[in-house]
Amino acid sequence: MSTQVENRFSEFIVDRVGFGIFAVTRDMQLVLWNRFMQQHSGKKAEEIIGKNLFDCFPELPRKWLQKKFEGVFLLKNFSFISWEQRPYLFQFKHDRPVTGGVDWMQQNCTFMPMINAANEVEMVCVTIADVTDISIIQRQLQSALVALGESANRDGLTGIYNRRHLEERLAQEFSRCKRYGGGFSLLMFDLDHFKRVNDQYGHLGGDAVLRAAAARVTNVIRTADIFGRYGGEEFALILPETDLAAATIVGEKVRKAIGETPIEFDGQKLTATTSVGITTMRSDLPAYEALIHEADTALYRAKGLGRNCVVVAGSDIEPLKIS
Amino acid sequence: MSNLQLTDDQREALQEVTNIGMGQAGAALAALLDTFVTLSVPRIQLVQVAELGKSLRAMVRDAQDVTAVRQSFQSDISGEAIVIYGPEGCKELWDLMGYEPSDEPPGTSTERELLFDVANVLVGACVCSVFELLGRSLSFSRPTLIGEKVPLDYLLQQETLPWGMALLVEVNFSLENRQFTAHLVTLMAEDSIEQMKAALDHFVANL
Repeated sequence: MSTQVENRFSEFIVDRVGFGIFAVTRDMQLVLWNRFMQQHSGKKAEEIIGKNLFDCFPELPRKWLQKKFEGVFLLKNFSFISWEQRPYLFQFKHDRPVTGGVDWMQQNCTFMPMINAANEVEMVCVTIADVTDISIIQRQLQSALVALGESANRDGLTGIYNRRHLEERLAQEFSRCKRYGGGFSLLMFDLDHFKRVNDQYGHLGGDAVLRAAAARVTNVIRTADIFGRYGGEEFALILPETDLAAATIVGEKVRKAIGETPIEFDGQKLTATTSVGITTMRSDLPAYEALIHEADTALYRAKGLGRNCVVVAGSDIEPLKIS
Repeated sequence: MSNLQLTDDQREALQEVTNIGMGQAGAALAALLDTFVTLSVPRIQLVQVAELGKSLRAMVRDAQDVTAVRQSFQSDISGEAIVIYGPEGCKELWDLMGYEPSDEPPGTSTERELLFDVANVLVGACVCSVFELLGRSLSFSRPTLIGEKVPLDYLLQQETLPWGMALLVEVNFSLENRQFTAHLVTLMAEDSIEQMKAALDHFVANL
């Protein structure tokens, strides 16, 4: 290929390629401004060639960008800007007006030294790739991963935490307290005669009761408390930094929240009550499973004592209240 | 396996090329950062990849956790350069790299950008000057993060390196009046080591 043809090709490609391409001299004078740059900046090449880059675009982060150029001139080295750290260099509109969700065209920039015969960097050429599409997909992927991680921890019916997450958090709290001291309490509670609700109102009725119970308890606990469905009609509530006395008060709140007012389902009023077992962290316990066992045992004692009451593990005290 | 060991001449030439290159790199970095930059005398080792972890541990002596950035370079000799920072990265160089005080406090993304900027400058200065002496002009890919505040072993664990030998060029940096040190490691695959040997022979022949 003759040099002339080659030059025509190069010019054609620089002009028409789907990248922004521009070049500056050591004193930041623009010497190249391709069609992509013209279209997106609204500044024609003939308007700005020969002018200082920062005079033409005063909004550029001057000090930092100048250092970047200086690095390329001094070190004869490539340099880069990535949208992941700095979404854009030039404020260009992107061509995804509807489904965008990002404000300006996201850009990846590459700075390349153009070395002359005397082995000096004469100019720095910068290419700008429009990576808006990639960035949108990446962001969607990120938020999908977050949502996925969150939904993996949730119970599908009630929206509160599931058993897997409860056990995970319980194990964490347990080892944290073992290592650093501090305490927490555990409540396990179970809806009374839930089978009857299912039999009488069908599974939809049962589901409505479970959802209502979960929502009511959520309303009376603190944000730091960890509340979830342990299985079937059984729930668990982890109360960080809470001693047995305070946990007993919470147990009573939970009992009342569920049982005091009837739950509406299909125009009917259903009354659901709950039996609550409570235990608290002690450093002599071998594993967190011991806590589940203790709370569960207390819960079954509450059932034995006539249901709709709160029982503390290991104590012989009477159930707190039977309404 | 082909004989990848360097001859005495080649080793000497590589040491010399690297020494000159690093001298130039130090001067260029000092000019860019406007501060005195100390570079260690480069250490060159040809190591089995299996031994790489041990060599790296010997190099980064006391740091338990590290932050590391990698960047690959290409010509007929290609390879990868890894910059290993302490766990705190390179926040010390904030102002030297042209960030405004108003950019502070550094958010995660600007802090990362700084990690990449500094790695790019260190790699560029050192690798470019060495290869320039060998008559090569390199292209670079954009830097990527290997790990932030991770155990040193993690750096190589992640990688299943597709080659058996690596040419390890190790340089340590520190800056005057700044709590900053970094280690630069250059890794090359076997076919690039062959090319490198040819380039060194050529360099020696033209002395």
